[in-house]
Amino acid sequence: MRPFTYARPDTLADAVALLAERGAEARVLAGGTDLIIRLRDGSVRPEVVVDVKRVPELAPGIRARDGGMLVIGATTTMTEIAAHPLIRRDVAGLAEAAAVVGSVQIRNRATLAGNLCNASPAADTAPSLLVHGAVVVAHGLAGERRIGLDDFFVRSGLTTLAPGELVVAIEIPASGHGRIASAHQRRTRRRGHDLASVTLACGLDATGLTRIAYGSVGPRPILRLDTTGVLAAAASTDEARTPIFEAIFADATPSVRSMRAGAEYRLAMLRVLGRRALATAQARLAAGE
Amino acid sequence: MTALDGTIGTSPNRVGGIDRVTGAQRYLADMSVTDALHAKLVTVPVARARVARIDGSAALALPGVRLVLTADDLPQPVPRFGPQNLDRPVLATGETKYHGDPVALVVADTREQAEAGVAAVHVDYKALPAVCTVAAALATGAPLVQDRSLRAKDPRRNTNVLNEHVVAWGDVEAAAAEPGLTIVERRYTFPMVTHFAIEPHAFMAAPDGDGVSVWSTIQHPNWLQKTIAGLTRLPLSKVRVYAPDPGGGFGGKQHAKYEPAVVFAALRLGRPVRLVLTLEETFQAVRRAACEARVRTGFTADGRIAFHDIEADYLIGAYTDIADRVVGKGSYPAAGPYNVPAVRIVARAILSHTVPSTAFRGFGNPQINWAVESTIDEGARVLGIDPVDVRLRNLARKGDRFIPFDTPCDGEWDQAVRKAAELIGWDTPCPPGRGRGIALGIKSGPTTGLSYSIVRLLADGSVVVYAGTSDMGQGARTVFAQIASHELGAPLDWITVVMGDTAIVPYDQQTSASRSTVLMGNAILAACRDIQAKLRSIAATQLGAADTDVTVAEGVVRLADGREFPIREVLAAGLGRLGGEITGLGEMRKEAEAGHPLSGAPAFFEFNCTAIEAEVDADTGDVTIDRHVTVSDVGKALNPLQVRMQDEGAAIMGLGHTLMEHYILDDEGRIRNLGAIDYRIPTSMDLPRELRSEAVENADGPGPYGSKGMSEGALLCVAPAVAAAVRDATGVAIRDLPLTPERVWRALQVGAAPGDAEGRR
Amino acid sequence: MPQTTLPIELTVNGTLRGIDVAPHHTLLEVLRDDLQLTGSKECCLVGECGACTILVNGRSVDSCLVLAVEADGADVLTVEGLASPDGRLAPIQAAFLDQGGVQCGFCTPGQLMSAHALLAGHPHPTRAEIEEGMAGNLCRCACYEQIFAAIDQAASGAAPAVTGASVRAEAGDAWAGAKTSAEGLDQ
Repeated sequence: MRPFTYARPDTLADAVALLAERGAEARVLAGGTDLIIRLRDGSVRPEVVVDVKRVPELAPGIRARDGGMLVIGATTTMTEIAAHPLIRRDVAGLAEAAAVVGSVQIRNRATLAGNLCNASPAADTAPSLLVHGAVVVAHGLAGERRIGLDDFFVRSGLTTLAPGELVVAIEIPASGHGRIASAHQRRTRRRGHDLASVTLACGLDATGLTRIAYGSVGPRPILRLDTTGVLAAAASTDEARTPIFEAIFADATPSVRSMRAGAEYRLAMLRVLGRRALATAQARLAAGE
Repeated sequence: MTALDGTIGTSPNRVGGIDRVTGAQRYLADMSVTDALHAKLVTVPVARARVARIDGSAALALPGVRLVLTADDLPQPVPRFGPQNLDRPVLATGETKYHGDPVALVVADTREQAEAGVAAVHVDYKALPAVCTVAAALATGAPLVQDRSLRAKDPRRNTNVLNEHVVAWGDVEAAAAEPGLTIVERRYTFPMVTHFAIEPHAFMAAPDGDGVSVWSTIQHPNWLQKTIAGLTRLPLSKVRVYAPDPGGGFGGKQHAKYEPAVVFAALRLGRPVRLVLTLEETFQAVRRAACEARVRTGFTADGRIAFHDIEADYLIGAYTDIADRVVGKGSYPAAGPYNVPAVRIVARAILSHTVPSTAFRGFGNPQINWAVESTIDEGARVLGIDPVDVRLRNLARKGDRFIPFDTPCDGEWDQAVRKAAELIGWDTPCPPGRGRGIALGIKSGPTTGLSYSIVRLLADGSVVVYAGTSDMGQGARTVFAQIASHELGAPLDWITVVMGDTAIVPYDQQTSASRSTVLMGNAILAACRDIQAKLRSIAATQLGAADTDVTVAEGVVRLADGREFPIREVLAAGLGRLGGEITGLGEMRKEAEAGHPLSGAPAFFEFNCTAIEAEVDADTGDVTIDRHVTVSDVGKALNPLQVRMQDEGAAIMGLGHTLMEHYILDDEGRIRNLGAIDYRIPTSMDLPRELRSEAVENADGPGPYGSKGMSEGALLCVAPAVAAAVRDATGVAIRDLPLTPERVWRALQVGAAPGDAEGRR
Repeated sequence: MPQTTLPIELTVNGTLRGIDVAPHHTLLEVLRDDLQLTGSKECCLVGECGACTILVNGRSVDSCLVLAVEADGADVLTVEGLASPDGRLAPIQAAFLDQGGVQCGFCTPGQLMSAHALLAGHPHPTRAEIEEGMAGNLCRCACYEQIFAAIDQAASGAAPAVTGASVRAEAGDAWAGAKTSAEGLDQ
């Protein structure tokens, strides 16, 4: 690994100042499960690595605010998210997604903010967060701003974070229409931990609005809504749902060069996983889970 | 007094196990010697390149960098080595032949400095067209992988066909012309896969007086010693090979790879040099040969196999390594454990610009058995005969010369088949949505062999066993200690087994072909019996009996009058006040046989029957192995737990190449899935829901107490048994491995080809 | 210029250690190269194989994906710290030996650490929890069934199996006792 300077700021102000000052020379270290691989293979070559795990504002933790909003600290690990009772109850799709990110060892280190900031199209937590309308809370020299997650991703490795901006938390707002029942599905090459060749979540609420988000089939995760109520309606036939799914998945553009799965397979699996996630979400909504 | 007589056939804790659970076990990468320097390989990022110039000056200017060793720094012409053909240069000279073929070695004070040095070496190269598939290698005008001069006397030198192995008996064409036959002809492919031992390969060398010492993760220390002695022109006695227990071998660590380069670097610098490969570099050092096979088999109406006509093209790498032997030996028993009147097998070793393929558990058999057993399954379906019945109707029985002029059938193989069928519940209805498949496999054991052992019975009755076998996880050390314990009466923890040092341990040809329990085991047994014979004289003198009235066996001295003494009592008295010891020598030799295509008939066959119950998710193509039954003929399980672990390990490794493993090459011949993220092997979540390993034991093997080798058999049948189960469940036949979800899904989209669904149970 | 070294303090297997580490060195490198604790193994270096698994503050991590500086102030447990200081094997170590959870042994330290962490969180894990909890540790010898059995044994607090170390120790004791008579024969 190429040498670099290690910085471990104790305050948010110091962290932001350092990131702003060093710009592209700096990389943020949270869980390190992606960064350290890339430091070793030389695909990133920072001058300074900024470990943000001791910045109080980014501390791990999942807190419920008044009105039902959940706030997840930036350095909260996948293990904590997958096990947290509120997440499991109210954001089931996220709990499921966090539980399949890598192995136990990876989940003990990998953070939610890291998973999002890498902006991997295959990030498993992104679809569930998208269907729950998650908001990224970022802090920069200009202060704090909130970015809807759908406005956060640009393409693989690139987000709309400004230079020097740091994610401090992820908020999962309470839905205006009661709770969203969600479910996550993915495809991998084996049952043991693997990168997703398709990752998808479905969220339903009592109004019949269906949100489907999916990744690993294009440069960034995609969120689509069904406002017709057809997907959500228990009485809908497969035939009725098909054109809606087709519209929802119309923007999937899987690479034909990927070695993890062929484009045709990924597109077909989107449809399979979409139906499966919908069925699970419907069952959860009905059960009041 | 003979409390440990029962050691054979029980499963004591692994000898050496305590160090393995405390972290104290020293693998090569855990060792160092004073002043050791660190080396890294320099490669070029294409499959084939003309290397014009290597400029190491910038690297040498970096801190700590001591040497940039290139082919130019070696004796000229650049020395070449290899277990079969001397075709692998110590470092690539002129042209690189595969992605990962090293052109230089950078040696520095630290590993990091060596890495920095590698980045600073400038290699002036030009990419050249490469051949990385059978079709490309055989195409008209294809570039030759090996220079003609290396194969001057070889009539095939103007092609990429390194060798062609033909096995034939009976008249295949006449048999095929018989009326009433059902003839099935299909093509199958088996991909390149890699060993993925969790310990990456590692090497170290140091000048040692007027010789050299070499440390390696090698399976065959004596072979490496010979290789290094030949390259350095040193006598064998001046080349000392240390071979600490490998962290998994599976065949990949049998033969020298980069040890020669490390030796030349160490001798040039006069300092120890170590090279620990990354996992990625290990993937670029060893793999299994891919294979494209065509099988044409004729069946009579009652399910007899009338003929087999088999062609197999094995895609080997750029240097021979042991790959030609893999092709020859792996294809030799391709007609399977059946009595077939007419057989023609043509197997070719095709050179390509890919990682040199080498020995890998199963040694060429899994590739061809996949094709042949799948063809038999298809024949059974077409005929409407139960696949188990078809196999039993054709199966060789003990003593049958099912391969003419070879070792006759040496086991009650039908017992294994019946047991596997019974355990999977073959005659019971398959649960809805599932399918079942069964396959048989054989592999020739060692065809030649030479193992020596020295056993020392020390004055207190404890024992030191010297064995040149490598204990790479199979548990050789434990079994050897059990044999010595059984014969000499010492408890296991009074026995030390010394391995892995050619200056101390007598010669052993190799650790391969599941040979060690049989060959080295017999050598140890002979050494123990040598001691027993000496004890007999000592005891007779001590006890005032005639030699003929004394027997020594299983740790006990017995007199004709019925008196019994533990060996150690007689020993203490017999050695007298000076003490000392009794040394036994053992030799197990299996000579080459002139005229035999494999240089000898096998000492035994490994026989396995595997039965699978599986289900397929029709939407996604996921295959779930619900039940996996493996039954091997082991002769006698000297250590039943270790037998089961080897059998299960082979079975799960077989699931790897059946369901998920393969190298994916890009258009330039580079391995795209280089590393653990995209080369998938089974995890604890990818196991069969139920895995059952059973052994057939008739004590009819040539090893100690009737044992046979058994570490590879359970891998031979996995792919055909799983594919048959998938076909049984879905009606769809898949003839390319691995059976990834995507491949299965695609096959399901196409649907059952005409005839594919026939004969479903 | 990057920093050359940074001082850190960490507790390794119960002992407080103060060392200077290069910022770009991983915890695995520092354990193996600086502290000579070579029980943790190096294989894939991408967090896939688990051969380098250790516990940091009670949680299992791939030490190849942790910078040593990140462990400043941490409590680290490696395979060398599992046995008690007097050398008595921990129950999970003994169980691996008894059940055959070890073949070549290269993955074993990592397997043990994952098993240790699993049992800390799930004292009586189900088969599914074991499969999931151990999935980050590849065993190419594939003695997974035996590893599972070892975890079951450790969870049940069962005595070592009959063929285990206890039998060997007893036999060894009997053997040691019998030596006197052999000496007697000499006299």
